Amino acid sequence: MSAQHYLLRNRDVEGIDRIEVYEANRGYAALRQALKDYQPDELVAMVKKSGLRGRGGAGFPTGMKWGFLPNDGRSRYLVVNSDEAEPGTFKDRELIEENPHQLVEGIIISSYATRASEAYIYCRGEFLRGAEQLKRAVKEAYDHGYLGKNILGTDYSLELKVYRGAGAYICGEESALLESLEGKRGNPRLKPPFPAVAGLYGGPTVVNNVETICNLPPLVTYGPEWYTSMGTEKSPGLKIMSVSGAVKRPGNYEIPLATPLRTLIEEYAGGMLPGRTVKAVIPGGSSVPLLMPDQLDTPLDYESVVKAGSMLGSGGCIVLDDRVCMVGATARLVKFYREESCGKCTPCREGTYWMTDVLERIEYGQGQLSDLDLLADVADNIAGKCFCPLGDASLGVLVSALKHFRHEFEAHVADHGCPMGARLYDTVNH
Amino acid sequence: MIRLTIDGQEVTVPQGTMIVDAAAKLGVDVPIYCYHQALGPLGACRMCLVEVEKMPKLATACTTAVSEGMVVRTSGPAVDKGRRGVLEFLLINHPLDCPVCDKGGECFLQDYTFEYGPGGGRFQEPKIEKVKDGPINPFVLIDQERCVLCQRCVRFMREYVGEEQLLLEGRGVETVVTTVEHEPATSQFTGNVIDLCPVGALLSAPYHHKGRPWNIEREESVCPHCPVGCTSKITAREGHVIRMEGRPIPDREWGWLCDRGRFGYDFGYHPDRLATSIVKGKENTAAQATRQVAEWLKTVVDQEGGRGVGFIIGGGHTTEEAYQLRRFAAEVIGTDQLAISRTEAGYLPRGLNGTFDDVKQADTVVLLGSDPYDTVPVVHLKLRDRLLHYPALRVIGLGPLPLTRDTLPGLDVLVPPGQESLALALAMAAQWPQNSDVQTLVGSLKEFELQGVTAQTLVQLGQYLQGAEHLVLLWDGKEPEMAMVLGVLARLREKPTAVLPTFGPANWRGYEHAGFSPRFEDLTAVLEKARDGEIKILMVFGADLLREYPNRQLVESAFNQVEYLVVEGILPPQGAQHVDALLPGAAWAEVYGTYINMEARLQVAMAGVQPPGQARPIKTYVNTWARMLMKPLNWDEEWDPFDDDSGDLLPFEPVPDHVVALAMPPEAVGPMTLVTGAFIWESGQPSEILVPRVPQFPGRINPAEVKDMGLSTKRGHIMVSQGSESIVVAVTADPQVPKGILWVPQGLFGTNHLIEGTVTISGVTEEVTV
Repeated sequence: MSAQHYLLRNRDVEGIDRIEVYEANRGYAALRQALKDYQPDELVAMVKKSGLRGRGGAGFPTGMKWGFLPNDGRSRYLVVNSDEAEPGTFKDRELIEENPHQLVEGIIISSYATRASEAYIYCRGEFLRGAEQLKRAVKEAYDHGYLGKNILGTDYSLELKVYRGAGAYICGEESALLESLEGKRGNPRLKPPFPAVAGLYGGPTVVNNVETICNLPPLVTYGPEWYTSMGTEKSPGLKIMSVSGAVKRPGNYEIPLATPLRTLIEEYAGGMLPGRTVKAVIPGGSSVPLLMPDQLDTPLDYESVVKAGSMLGSGGCIVLDDRVCMVGATARLVKFYREESCGKCTPCREGTYWMTDVLERIEYGQGQLSDLDLLADVADNIAGKCFCPLGDASLGVLVSALKHFRHEFEAHVADHGCPMGARLYDTVNH
Repeated sequence: MIRLTIDGQEVTVPQGTMIVDAAAKLGVDVPIYCYHQALGPLGACRMCLVEVEKMPKLATACTTAVSEGMVVRTSGPAVDKGRRGVLEFLLINHPLDCPVCDKGGECFLQDYTFEYGPGGGRFQEPKIEKVKDGPINPFVLIDQERCVLCQRCVRFMREYVGEEQLLLEGRGVETVVTTVEHEPATSQFTGNVIDLCPVGALLSAPYHHKGRPWNIEREESVCPHCPVGCTSKITAREGHVIRMEGRPIPDREWGWLCDRGRFGYDFGYHPDRLATSIVKGKENTAAQATRQVAEWLKTVVDQEGGRGVGFIIGGGHTTEEAYQLRRFAAEVIGTDQLAISRTEAGYLPRGLNGTFDDVKQADTVVLLGSDPYDTVPVVHLKLRDRLLHYPALRVIGLGPLPLTRDTLPGLDVLVPPGQESLALALAMAAQWPQNSDVQTLVGSLKEFELQGVTAQTLVQLGQYLQGAEHLVLLWDGKEPEMAMVLGVLARLREKPTAVLPTFGPANWRGYEHAGFSPRFEDLTAVLEKARDGEIKILMVFGADLLREYPNRQLVESAFNQVEYLVVEGILPPQGAQHVDALLPGAAWAEVYGTYINMEARLQVAMAGVQPPGQARPIKTYVNTWARMLMKPLNWDEEWDPFDDDSGDLLPFEPVPDHVVALAMPPEAVGPMTLVTGAFIWESGQPSEILVPRVPQFPGRINPAEVKDMGLSTKRGHIMVSQGSESIVVAVTADPQVPKGILWVPQGLFGTNHLIEGTVTISGVTEEVTV
């Protein structure tokens, strides 16, 4: 366990969400350094060298993404994706609620690096406190000359606005986010063109996750070598993991990549609650397949987790213990995707609806054995056939649960209900 | 060009082509719902899955652009399973009401399910219930349960038409298509969503439960109501036209129709439809009525010679009918008094006439007095299409009212009524001051100050006119001298200059082609001769002169003076008391024939139904009369209106280069000027279906002008007077209309009691029903 926090410095410094405290703790020093010592392209090169990868879920190399911006003289946008809504993931929430200036500083550095003149934070609608914190921080930054015209006396100017979403998970998908930011219905766009070429209002746009951008200030301060000294060659640096489930200390933990899953659960999160054992782990948010107890030694870096059959995703690590009914948990997660499907493409819209109905029927004891094959086939008809990743995301847990816990599904059918006596999840929806 | 292989066949297509279009080129059918060539790719329905070599997953053929050497397979186990899966998904919430669905039998969901779908469904849960037969507006119904959410309708309205009146509401399986704020859609183009809908979700309200594919007959036709001549299809059942659909023509027409054209098909069985001959106010048999007219003709011809008979054609007759009438007039009667019922004084020489291909290439469009949205709506859509492909399209309106719109933005140059041709000429004089034709045109008016138009505006307009690479001008035909100005402009520019005449009647080019004079002055001459007693029998075919001709007094005195007034038509004309013989004619869709549209393009319309009662085509009448007059017409050689060299366009004719000085324009002598114009809801034949949508207060006037006239709301009636004549006009107060202008649709409110020009307006004390 590393004692020092880089991204979660709010854990160490009381009141760092206020600009005076933030400034007193080396706040905005990285920005001064970036503006003084670096040309924008040098910063892009540094990010490329650091190997920083997008922390929103896909893990795409950030420097490479920035490099896709065409040099055609059009004004550029930086959009920060703060629409964190993946079940099990709550890292961005802490970052914006507890240390908003870190994000603002990262945005200014990133905008300078990508030569963006306007930046937006797309904040999840439910993050009321986060949005207030961000708005206050942005105002403070303007008041202190970190935003607006001629930042810190340089030629560089940047406008930053905070925009609140209206509560749709799909708006975390970058192109749907841009549609929503433009005031339209949050449906994903056809790619290509990618946002780098035609993004916000048709202009070249970089869309980055909150955590990704928060990496910029320490990266400038400590340099790319510091970053690559952690993790693996392909997955260097730090990652915040959100641990939930039957562990003693659920919460966000900043880990060097390639830390074993077991270390995260047993050391960072304090191990399982008394009497509980690990049944399965969803390592990267609700969209990824399960890891089984015999895979707890998997290092948490992008490649190793893929090798183990899952994905690191957004780092939402849900620890499912022996008291969890896998059918119920799966039904709940699939229902989430049913509720959040935007309705644009057929397989996702209809498939998630159908799978939810079948899973609920099985959980209630109305299932038949043939339903298991039906579920697998419906999942296969969704897989790889949807417009955006949401459809595939709805299958991650389901398909691996059907594979590893088929006996639980069969028991539900045979017993006409849940053998564990678990009640179906409470839900405000029907 | 890109070469690729689809199902083992090689094909070469331009870069950027989608796989689905490349496949279509080979005749390989890839099923699609959401994709439409006019709207571009969306990728929502996932129906068009195909296998592309080296791609890890199935690709959607509508969103995947071709690349060199690509190998595509449109069938195979993976593709078949994918399509089966998508269809199963589409059907789980689709109601099984095909037996009562208007689209049953012409539905892509049925067709693709039959071809690619699973034999049965595995979905056991209850289907989601949504709104059925909810109104989009009086013409369009939506069944949200049947909707596959392909978004064609939403995208058509939002992106293509530019009037965002449909949208998606709700999310996931709860998503529905509905109207904005749940208010009725008011666009001119809503009916197109019925054709666009691949399933039974968007339905025609007037066609609802009226027919099924196996008990209807479809015929290819051409919309008869305005000069655009949109390609359409008639649906007929048991003698009635019960539907109009758009008829796309590859690489030329998308098949759009405006609502006026799509839903105004019921005039053939309008309650007032003439189906009986009426002689001297009494119903008569067809034989006796025809014989009576023949006797009158014989008497007059014997006494006065053929020139005692005048012929005026109008309405929705075909070119062939006009030709038959012309031959009868020339060969049997021996008269050359042949005119077309015109509402405008202008005439466009064939040589200046452009086509819709010009619109597809235009970089500058000038609207000369004509707002295409209200006069020739589908041309507005064609301009929208051009704007989508060429966002830099420059649109300039030149007229007494603003002519650009939110959907077709541009620059409006407002000139006093009647001064458009002078304004254009002055702009040309600013740009080409040395040109002798321009000097002749402008003559002594060089320094004329157009009210409200600055010299800079004229200079800029002149620059635009010269700078345009491909110039298209829409012309309302009001100022006859405009044709001469346009002729000079076309010669000066040396780059494509195309004029599209927006005036009617819809088939005036066809009547001209058949031998009738299209010139307004010839129509006036025929009426004057009738008034002066030179013409004893006036034979009017399809025209309603008291409504159409701009000077009602002349028509009335002509009608009073002639010995016999014979009117053929499908509805009783105004002033029926003047008519000596009223002969029921065959309407559009009841005769086969050719219509020539504003492009000078010949288009064939098939007959779909029989004329009712005694209604007969012109040929029947003229044949009977010719035999009775002992000069039977010989039709051995069928006349072909098509030209061997110019195909479906009329042969090109050089533009006359005679130039004379423009006259001093009329000056407004009072504070209010009456301006009339074509209005699509009032042109063509009346329709009962359209009644709920026809604007009730179509006159337009600036709010400041009617502030004191008791118009408590934005709409009401005003009295419009000129000399001893007064009419009552239903107006809407519209801030877009400049002060001092009252705009009234042609043919409404008896506007032709007044001459266009200075009028006085006053409030009406009581609500008057017009």
